[in-house]
Formats: sequence, structure tokens, C-alpha cells
Amino acid sequence: MTDKKIKLFAFLLIAFTLILSGCSRSYKSSQIQFGIFAAQNDLWDEAIFRWKKAVQSNPESAAAHNNLAVAYEKKGLLEEAEKEYETALKLDPKNSYIKANLENFKKNLESQGEDEKKEKKDEKK
Amino acid sequence: MRRKRKKMKRSKLFLLLPLLFLVCCSVTNYWKVRVEVPAKIVLDLNQYSNIVVTDFLIQKESKEFNLNQEIVKYFVEGLEQQFKGKVSSKKVSLDKEELFQDKDFWKSLFPDQEGTVILTGNATYTQEIRKAILETRKKRDEDFYSRSQAIEERRFYTLDLSLYLIDTKTLYTRAFKETQGYNNPNQTAPFAFFDLVERVKGKLFQSLLGGERIQERYLIKD
Repeated sequence: MTDKKIKLFAFLLIAFTLILSGCSRSYKSSQIQFGIFAAQNDLWDEAIFRWKKAVQSNPESAAAHNNLAVAYEKKGLLEEAEKEYETALKLDPKNSYIKANLENFKKNLESQGEDEKKEKKDEKK
Repeated sequence: MRRKRKKMKRSKLFLLLPLLFLVCCSVTNYWKVRVEVPAKIVLDLNQYSNIVVTDFLIQKESKEFNLNQEIVKYFVEGLEQQFKGKVSSKKVSLDKEELFQDKDFWKSLFPDQEGTVILTGNATYTQEIRKAILETRKKRDEDFYSRSQAIEERRFYTLDLSLYLIDTKTLYTRAFKETQGYNNPNQTAPFAFFDLVERVKGKLFQSLLGGERIQERYLIKD
């Protein structure tokens, strides 16, 4: 075997190992991926079902909690959404995507609350 | 030599394939999604079968168009598109603001008002020109970095609209004050009015007929 062939063989072996590890990882998170696929196709009930399963099988998964929160928000289940966002952020406090989601969720709630306050003031007048 | 080169090319291609695969797998671990989040309904208009839009009390009339007529027309057309029941308009002469709280007045106007809700209110539409000294950059052919000062004018339009929803009592009131400035000094009042009333409509209908706010969220792939 020449040097080149050995290098090529070694590289392929490493690549193959990485691919296999990637596959096993995706197997673990298949429910999350499936949920995303469902959400991409606007099947949010299916997405909720998948992400609930993901949470049941791995309660420490911040991604599953975050995605579930997004789906609850989409369905108008705001209390459930807030709980899930907070759980996700507790599990992964440095995750900038979860932080952004929770921030935007709160902003949206506040803007609706402000409208209500304004209306109540107007009613008193 | 040629064979060697061919072999080299093949091996390079062979090496690139797993690399590409790995790169594709690891590029993003999130998916940005636009979610239509349902807005809270303050008063559900769909519990009524009939909406009557009456004339508005106009406190400051526009010289360029009939403000009352345009408001009534706008709300009737808007409600017809989104409300499931019947929408109509009725001429009512309103001369003072106290009438909005006068139950007997509305009862006498609509004696058979079961399932009917009245949309009315008062409106003021004003315009003003605001002037300010602003710094402007000179054109390229002069001196790009030098600045000059000039008096700039903006035409501002303001729509003050207080809306009342009444059945046997005043169910809902909400006041809007929408302002918009235009660079164009020749901006016409009716054009600006439709910009402003459109904003009011968006906010009002969302609270009464429901609606969705488009939000951006991240789904994480784990």
C-alpha cells in the first residue's frame, strides 16, 4: 500500500465513523426532527405530539421543550408555552435561540396587555 | 502521466463527498419559523348577528372630503369582509358626546335590537405643517463631506377616533390617536386619512374579531 492509499483509507474511516455517530444522534432526536418536518408542513398538532414524545423520552432536552413552546404559542395556549420556554431556558441557559424566543414571546404578551390596559382606562373615562 | 492525473482527480472527488456530507449535516441546528400567533379577543363581535354603523360625531371637519361619510363607508366595507353576520349603516344626527352614554337614546333608535350591536363614535381629523432646521449633505459634484443646513417641512396628519360599541349599554370604548408625517408637501388629506384609518382598523378588528400576529421563532434541531 502506498502512503496516499493509507491516508485515503484513514480519512474514509474517520468520515465513516463521524457519519455513523451523526446517524445515531439523529435517531435519538428523530421525534424532534419529525416534529420540525410536521411544523414545516403546517401540521402543528402532529408536531406537538412528536415533541411531547421527545420530552417524555428525554425530559432534559431543551430543544424539545423550546419547540413544544413554539407550537403551544401557535395554538394560542400561552400559559403552557411560557412554562415550556422557561423549562427550556433552565435546561440550556446559554442558548441564544431559546432566549430570543422567550423574549419575543414576552414582548408579544406585553403589547397585548398594553392594549387591554388602554381599553380599561378608556372605559373608566 | 495522464493516468496518474485521472487517478488524482478521482481520489479528490472521492475525498470531497464525505466532507460535503459532514458540512451539510452541521451547518445549522435551528430553523427559523414564522408563526401566526392568535391575538386575544376583548369582545367577540361574532356573538351578534347584526352590526349597524351609525354616523359619527365630527368635531373638526376636513375641508377636502366628507370625513363622516368616509369613516362609515370604511368600517361598513371592512366589517362586511370579516364579520359573519349582517352589516348596515344608519343616519343618526349626533350633536353632543353625552349621547354615547345615553341608553334611552339608542334604545329609541333601535327598538328591536336583539342581536344587534351599534358601532359609533366621534372623530377629529387635523393637519399641520412642522418645520425644522435639518443638516443635509451636499451633492457629490460639490463637496461630498461638507454639510449644509436647510429648513425642511413635513406635513403631519392626525386622526383622533373614539369608538363606541353599544347594545343595551356601552359595551366597549376605545380611543385611537394616529399620526403620520409626510415629506411630500402636496400630500392630500384623503390619502393620508386612509393610511391612518387602516391602522385603526387593524388594531380594532384584532380585538373584536380575532386575528393573528405574525411572529418569528426558532425551532431547534437538537
